[in-house]
Amino acid sequence: MKSADRPQIIAFGDSALLLELGDQIDLELNRRVHALAKVVRDDGAWGTPVPAYASLLVPYDPAEIGVDEAVDRLSALFARAGTAAKRAPVEADAEPVEADAVPGEADTEPLEVPVRYGGEHGPDLDEVARGHGLRPQDVVALHSGVTYRVYMLGFAPGFAYLGGLPPELATPRRATPRDRVPPGSVGIAGQQTAIYPMATPGGWQLIGRTDLKVWDPSAEPPALLQPGRRVRFRPVV
Amino acid sequence: MLEVLTPGLLDTVQDAGRPDAADMGVPAGGACDPWSMAVANLMHGNAPGAPVVEVTLQGPVLAVRETCTLGLAGADLGAIVREEHRPLAIGLVHQLWAGTTVAFGAPAGQGCRAYLSLAGGIDVPLVLGSASTCLVGAFGGIDGRPLRSGDVLRPARQEDVSAAGTAWPADGGLGPGSLVEAKAGAHIRVVPGPHAERLGAPALEALTGAEWRVESESNRMGVRLSPTSEGLRGQPGRNTGELLSFGVVSGAIQLPPDGRPIVLMADHQTVGGYPVPACVITADHHAIGQLAPGDSVRFVVVSIQQAQLLYREHRASMRAAIAELARTSTWDEAWRDAGG
Repeated sequence: MKSADRPQIIAFGDSALLLELGDQIDLELNRRVHALAKVVRDDGAWGTPVPAYASLLVPYDPAEIGVDEAVDRLSALFARAGTAAKRAPVEADAEPVEADAVPGEADTEPLEVPVRYGGEHGPDLDEVARGHGLRPQDVVALHSGVTYRVYMLGFAPGFAYLGGLPPELATPRRATPRDRVPPGSVGIAGQQTAIYPMATPGGWQLIGRTDLKVWDPSAEPPALLQPGRRVRFRPVV
Repeated sequence: MLEVLTPGLLDTVQDAGRPDAADMGVPAGGACDPWSMAVANLMHGNAPGAPVVEVTLQGPVLAVRETCTLGLAGADLGAIVREEHRPLAIGLVHQLWAGTTVAFGAPAGQGCRAYLSLAGGIDVPLVLGSASTCLVGAFGGIDGRPLRSGDVLRPARQEDVSAAGTAWPADGGLGPGSLVEAKAGAHIRVVPGPHAERLGAPALEALTGAEWRVESESNRMGVRLSPTSEGLRGQPGRNTGELLSFGVVSGAIQLPPDGRPIVLMADHQTVGGYPVPACVITADHHAIGQLAPGDSVRFVVVSIQQAQLLYREHRASMRAAIAELARTSTWDEAWRDAGG
């Protein structure tokens, strides 16, 4: 399975289905995931769907419907929405994703995130630079030189996985995770970057820190970074 | 009204959680043993998912500041009224007199979590639609943290002590199925997980063929398991490494590279990247929530259709208990409202 042409619905336990669209980080695949999440939310017959990079978790109430009926209903729902997804792999006619289907795409201007790179704010900056044969300032220039996009939320409340990291900065997670990563820390893991919304344990390479608050449960929406939102980092001292 | 004099190991306010916030990365949260939470609440005439205090292994010391009633369900963690040398049984609403102190001893039997209910539920503000304490996000419950000395637990409804003496009509202990004979080795039912096929049959066989021990690193996020000596023959198959992150459910059994499974619980992260060979059935979630470090566990595979039938039976037994409770008590109106 490499792309969106063979979506599958599989059971995830006795109370959820998992729709798998692919197994890679891909912009169009991810836009379809969020568009389908909207279809599920709008249908109202399901629990809150959880979109990820290339899959969608769809909970249902097993006291209301059985697994076979759930699969049939979800398949039918996606068929009506123009995206075939059946238990048996089928060729799907991948419709273009509607403009308003991905919540964070309504903001056309990228969100600018001020970051203090390096030093106590980014204790792994030097090591990341060394690992790539770069100077720390090159890492900063590369990291703050591109526009990222929110692919999914997870790990912790408001934690947004940002795709679009320059390939020359791709870095594995730390061998030993930290027990406490300070809130606002900007990290790198694999081909992703992210802002830690709160103090949590974490294994990402920390290259900087921002004062921008990306999570506030009393705000609407509580997560500042919505799927589809574009983001740029700006170095500050 | 109760005041915390000395907190226990981990006392948190929990309710039915916030499953609708999962797309924001918020753990569903809520009681690890939802059955016992419902029992504690229903005895009190509360909605089954009203806010309760979840107490873990070692309970707090609570001063009774105003005469009130306290419902107890879940594990028997040795609660007593100190001044009266009165043990507080599980599955009962107790009257507490102002000026006395509730203390907990050692876990008296099986299970590790007790649930404490007050009239109308514990009065705390809702955050994202729930009273549950979100420990990772530091919100909900009381200031987003476990209870500590000086915290006050107020009933959400005017206390008239009329619930005192109400008993749960069925076994008030650890829920249906008698699967929670943890000390003897709990038998937890699972269905094949989304990656069962990809991992191959040996993975599921290793998981179900072995006996597992609950590790002390277990918490509200997950129950960590390691093989017992008998289970050593069962490394659950080759690990396929990390997958592209996907949404995960409570009860999912993750298989990290070290081969030691983690059963996801209420506070689990919303997405995960480890393969999932099996998932605990919803009707046994309450049993997982009562597993204590050192307990041993075996997994038994059922089909998803069977699991869903068991869940409907699970709900029916709750409804039957509610009907019996309504028949024998003055709280019938509240129970009707509770959706029995």
